[in-house]
Amino acid sequence: MSTFKTSRRFSMMVLALCALIGVAQAEEIQGQKGMSGGPNTITKAPNVSQSQLNAAGGQKANWLHTNGDYGQTRFYPGTQINTGNVKKLRPEFTFQTEVRESMETAPIVVDGVMYMTTSYNHVYALDAVTGREFWHYKHKMGPITTFCCGPNNRGVAIEGGKLFMGTLDAKLVALDAKTGKLLWETEIADPEKGYSETMAPTVIDGKVLIGTNGGEYGIRGFVKAFNAADGKLLWTFHTIPEKGHEGVWAVNDATGRNMHRDIAAEKAALARDSSFYQTLGGGVWMNPAVDTKTRTIFFVVGNPSPDLYGAERPGDNLYTDAMVAVDLDKGTYKWHFQYIAHDVWDLDAVSPPILLDAKDKSGKMVPAVMHGGKTGHVYVHRRDNGELIRFSEAMIPQENMWVLPTAQGARMLPGANGGVEWSPMAYHPKHRLAYALNLHQPMTYHVEASKYPGGKLWLGGAFKVIEGEKQWGRLAAVNVDTGKMAWKFDTEQPLIGGALATAGDLVFYGEGNGLFRALHAKTGKLLWEYNCGAGANAMPVAYSVKGREYVAMGCGGNTQLDFKRGNSMVVFALAKD
Amino acid sequence: MIFTFKHWFPTSAVLALLVAMQSAAHAQDIEAGRAKAQACAACHGPGGNSENGLYPTLAGQTWRYLYIQLKDFKEGRRNDPVMSAMAQPLSRQDMIDIANYYAAQPLKPTDFKADETKVRLGKAKTDETLCTMCHLEKFAGQNETPRVAGQRFEYIVKQLKDFKARVRTNEGGSMIPVARTLSEADIENVAHYIASLR
Repeated sequence: MSTFKTSRRFSMMVLALCALIGVAQAEEIQGQKGMSGGPNTITKAPNVSQSQLNAAGGQKANWLHTNGDYGQTRFYPGTQINTGNVKKLRPEFTFQTEVRESMETAPIVVDGVMYMTTSYNHVYALDAVTGREFWHYKHKMGPITTFCCGPNNRGVAIEGGKLFMGTLDAKLVALDAKTGKLLWETEIADPEKGYSETMAPTVIDGKVLIGTNGGEYGIRGFVKAFNAADGKLLWTFHTIPEKGHEGVWAVNDATGRNMHRDIAAEKAALARDSSFYQTLGGGVWMNPAVDTKTRTIFFVVGNPSPDLYGAERPGDNLYTDAMVAVDLDKGTYKWHFQYIAHDVWDLDAVSPPILLDAKDKSGKMVPAVMHGGKTGHVYVHRRDNGELIRFSEAMIPQENMWVLPTAQGARMLPGANGGVEWSPMAYHPKHRLAYALNLHQPMTYHVEASKYPGGKLWLGGAFKVIEGEKQWGRLAAVNVDTGKMAWKFDTEQPLIGGALATAGDLVFYGEGNGLFRALHAKTGKLLWEYNCGAGANAMPVAYSVKGREYVAMGCGGNTQLDFKRGNSMVVFALAKD
Repeated sequence: MIFTFKHWFPTSAVLALLVAMQSAAHAQDIEAGRAKAQACAACHGPGGNSENGLYPTLAGQTWRYLYIQLKDFKEGRRNDPVMSAMAQPLSRQDMIDIANYYAAQPLKPTDFKADETKVRLGKAKTDETLCTMCHLEKFAGQNETPRVAGQRFEYIVKQLKDFKARVRTNEGGSMIPVARTLSEADIENVAHYIASLR
């Protein structure tokens, strides 16, 4: 079956410590040499206005945000490539980077120029029609980087003529989009304490918004806003409040299942010591959605630290495992909704929220925001107050929820990767369907008492894959108004990466075995596939240049699931007659 | 958000690149570290090649591991009557310099005589325990995970026993559950195997 099949026995598998040291290298900009035809530089400097960014979802030419628009629907309105002709989709070019490592990027495309990133924070500017390289920027990495799940990067953001990228050594850099030249660089947080950046920033009205990794290292998570002009910090929202992180001592999770907490013991522990908020975790791995009307951002917060050992972090551990709404201009709290209080399974909230209109409990259409959880549920909330309208049926098998981790290991499904990992869903407004990439990985959960180890990997136990049990993936199409699955498409391997839906009634997604596929958005029927030679685990995007539509997918494999590495950006278009 | 990949090894080419670039980046630290490490040689041996099983060999260790251990001694997460005191006056830069100095020193073979049978049993046990998932192939180490190949036999035994008995607890909850599954005989065998690696 999958690449997970292995002859080695997992009798005592402690999760790999996989912080790779960043390669210290000089910042460099390279132009491509020795190729003919067309200019080697970008002739017209990009200048992306705020109104273009606001209207990104309604146009077909550019792909301006990691997830398509501020609502993060990953919905492309073009119909040129559609269910009727997708079988004629062919690779137009393959661009190979110099970094053969895990690829999770979503390219940004502006006026026929593509900006893509690789592991270790390289950025390439390409001709989006021919694959010709305009420039190549390599971030000058500091000596200390600390990160758990591969040296990934998920892309740049653009505003005006500037690109913005977060780096593994927890810096934010701004580049000149025309030349690749570094304009400014600012430190987001201290990498030695476990902070690092893999997410793409989101930019709006001169503010660069970015969260942080580090929930596996005992950080105190945040979302920060920086001034796009000069990199000065504008505001910080801590995902762990100094006071009140104990919450309401919730007994049940968002779906009403008992989490088997010993609340009396937790209260006693909190009375002894409440200083742990500084190391309580709560990373923010993916972009916030932005409601430009109400000036609100919506993001989800990752797991508490340490992942599995909860005894010394009593309380609900707010705002871990929660969706949070924050004022865009001031960075102040609006509301939160926690899915799992006092998580000891790492079934946290990662996949980026999507703005939509959905039926409330009385059947009335209301502004909503949804999230695909590692639990295997899609959660739909009211956008104004966070109230949970509904959660979907389980998209993948659940078992034994919520059995507590033990020293010997307790079996529970889903495994600690989900459900839906960081993988962004796509949303098709006409069909009312959310498309979610799911994993099925049976695991046992092991707990081990462990003090804060000072910036080292801090799980407080181990997750172990169960030898001999089949793992697989599922692309699930969930009706947002009913919570029922309209269809599901099962795959040989667990799924990780982004989904893309189009008005041509297609859903694009990739698999670890290299297959990049298009399904019928309404029925889930497989219509087209192409093997790009390495794990297709990035986030697909679509755009058009001179009236011709393209679909692009990064195929570089994945560290987290050990899918075959590569270094390719593959761009597809319909074959010319 | 986490990861449970099972076998993740950077290719040797990537590793070589990392090593090369790291050493280039820290050339200045190494000279500064040489001066600051003079007091260490009494126990850790010339160039960090220990001549006594009570003290670990530091030569060829990953700089990040050495730095983190010094920091842990200084900040009380790891305790040793000598090392806790030695680390107290060190600044962050001192620790980085010393770590880079020892990381750049060549590791010399010890006079340890490995028992063939124990080496075989030890290797089998480390395969089963998936040690190399973090320590990498042949225990070469990476980043914050130490190189233990060629380490002094007695020191390896002591660390595994200390993890097992929860005497050493600065590992973030990974080595303790591993060591708990090892019997006295396993520890002996594993140490024979690892000490014999070059």
